[in-house]
Amino acid sequence: MTTAVQSSPRTFGRGDAVLGLAARGSALCILGMLAALALVLLAAALPSIRTFGVGFLLSTDWRPNEIVGAGLDAAGNEVEVVSPPSFGGLAVIYGTVVSSALALVVAVPLSLGAALFLVRVAPRLRLAGVLSFLVEFLAAIPSIAFGIWGLFVLAPFLQHVVEPGLKSLLGDVPGLGWLFTGTLNIAGEVVTRPIPLTGRDMLCGGLILAIMVLPIITAVSRDVLRAVPRMQIEGTLALGATWWQSCAAMLRYGRAGLFGAIMLGLARAAGETMAVTMVIGNNNQIEPSPFAPAQTMSSLLANEFAEASDGLHRAALLEVALILLVMSLAINILARSLIVGGGPRAAAAH
Amino acid sequence: MSALPARTIGAMEVRAPHPPVPTAPAQGPAGPSVLDAIRQGHAHTAAVHESLRSEQAVIEAREFSLWYGKRRALYAISMIVARGKVTALIGPSGCGKSTLLRSINRLNDLVEGVRIEGSIVLHGVPVYAPGVDVIGLRKRTGMVFQKPNPFPMSIRENVIYALRINGERRRAVLDEACENSLRAVALWDEVKDRLRHSALGMSGGQQQRLCIARAIVAEPEVLLLDEPCSALDPVATLRIEELIRELSQRYTILIVTHNMQQAARVSDYTAFMYLGRLVEYGSTADVYQNPRLRETEQYVTGRFG
Ligand SMILES: Nc1ncnc2c1ncn2[C@@H]1O[C@H](COP(=O)(O)OP(=O)(O)OP(=O)(O)O)[C@@H](O)[C@H]1O
Ligand SMILES: [Mg+2]
Repeated sequence: MTTAVQSSPRTFGRGDAVLGLAARGSALCILGMLAALALVLLAAALPSIRTFGVGFLLSTDWRPNEIVGAGLDAAGNEVEVVSPPSFGGLAVIYGTVVSSALALVVAVPLSLGAALFLVRVAPRLRLAGVLSFLVEFLAAIPSIAFGIWGLFVLAPFLQHVVEPGLKSLLGDVPGLGWLFTGTLNIAGEVVTRPIPLTGRDMLCGGLILAIMVLPIITAVSRDVLRAVPRMQIEGTLALGATWWQSCAAMLRYGRAGLFGAIMLGLARAAGETMAVTMVIGNNNQIEPSPFAPAQTMSSLLANEFAEASDGLHRAALLEVALILLVMSLAINILARSLIVGGGPRAAAAH
Repeated sequence: MSALPARTIGAMEVRAPHPPVPTAPAQGPAGPSVLDAIRQGHAHTAAVHESLRSEQAVIEAREFSLWYGKRRALYAISMIVARGKVTALIGPSGCGKSTLLRSINRLNDLVEGVRIEGSIVLHGVPVYAPGVDVIGLRKRTGMVFQKPNPFPMSIRENVIYALRINGERRRAVLDEACENSLRAVALWDEVKDRLRHSALGMSGGQQQRLCIARAIVAEPEVLLLDEPCSALDPVATLRIEELIRELSQRYTILIVTHNMQQAARVSDYTAFMYLGRLVEYGSTADVYQNPRLRETEQYVTGRFG
């Protein structure tokens, strides 16, 4: 009896130590891998960082090839001017930010609505299980499937129905002309022209992203809302709150966690590659119109990396990858800290 | 024990105009008890004291029964809640006190599979009639829960929540209501300098008083308190009890409590429930000192339950 009591903690102790070491080891491993990844990217991007410096973040110029053109020298004689390849990440950073923002604008209201439905309505209809499964299933669909659907269904629909409709509706409204005219940079020369509506544009990319981030935002929001204490909901109802008002109170109670859910969605949208590449039009330029083709950081990498033979081109692409890594990491850390640390429980404890 | 039969016999005389309790004919220590009969599922007619006859009913339950799914929680409860009085609901855990309370403002509607029979009338309105305005009904009843449940907002916003959801925007009105409510629960002096701070930073007792302030800000007619002190320390409990006595001058209060002394201290009437039935109901003085049923006496003196 006594020996058992004495020996069991020791064995547990040893097991604990081993497990603890293993856990710590794996955690360190993961951190190490992350650090190694960042270091490798940093080293590989160094030529580009050296060449362009901070200007990389501010320039929209993305020219892998040198341009040979005519120019005048100081004396006024016509000479051949060679501009070397030049790289700047601003256009794709813009593309990533805007397409992700568009995705959130569309997905957040839908996701929160769906999460509220799952928590407040579906259980009564005995639908919660089925619907939750469907939401999680949506999250498991491979990105390429969304891409193909976007390419063959969504883009043509936008091209033939939505965008012409919007154009005839809004095209002549003063102040909205920018929606349908774009600038074209042909060999350094800027031309203004109506945007050809192809359906493969920023809007389509944003919508595809919206569909893809919907499941994760919905699933996490559902868990956040489910964790809202019953007493909170009953408290509002007992004071005469309507169904919607009590839902608003739930959202307020879970706001930190919900913000985290949205950030997780944002992280996914910013990093998403395949589907976006297929539908966004891949135009490395900043165009204010959502009906113009655009490009995101990840779609730029997917498009050009295999063909980048030139050292500087490769380095520039890897610098884009490094920026993307840092961005996703920052968003993810923010999201996790909000869901885990800043959630309702922490708020209640304070 | 020797005083017991005499006292019960006295109570039986008072009971004369009521139908006799059929399942508890014998009152001697060895006879079958009312509670045994209830446990065996026999019908029980509540011993309701005469004193309630002269009272004006704010709430009246008529043969009210409630089921959670297949499980029955209330058995044909018939009782009134007297206007301007404090009525305590007592009884062992699980006897349906909270259920009865939550039936009045229809909070049980939220629970899946709830079914009711009979009716509850609040201020002449049958609360379960089809088409009744449940939101409006709840606005006319304030409720305070067992555990303080402040919302995650400022103290001020907590207090005026009921007005906000009514669409009140005028600052002066909101400020005045906030101050009045907080004064009514004796919280104003403690928090007037930090109305904009989060309510979650208050002590448990303060939070519970805040919840009472929140419940009375829209001037309800009835206050429903479900064990409002069970999560509080003795000092905070005492303050809430004083508060209940004060509020009883303006509101009709129905309070659930597990604490017999508390029920004795704060209430005018006491209803003793057991396994979903109303067993005995009368003025607190009678129920405690001169109960009709031996079982009630045993319960209030802590000899069972
Ligand atoms: N939401 C629910 N679903 C199913 N059964 C319930 C539910 N709430 C209460 N019950 C059951 O109904 C009965 C009465 O419960 P109720 O909470 O009204 O008792 P109570 O008298 O308030 O008890 P306590 O003193 O412990 O608070 C209990 O048997 C309980 O198990
Ligand atoms: Mg209860």
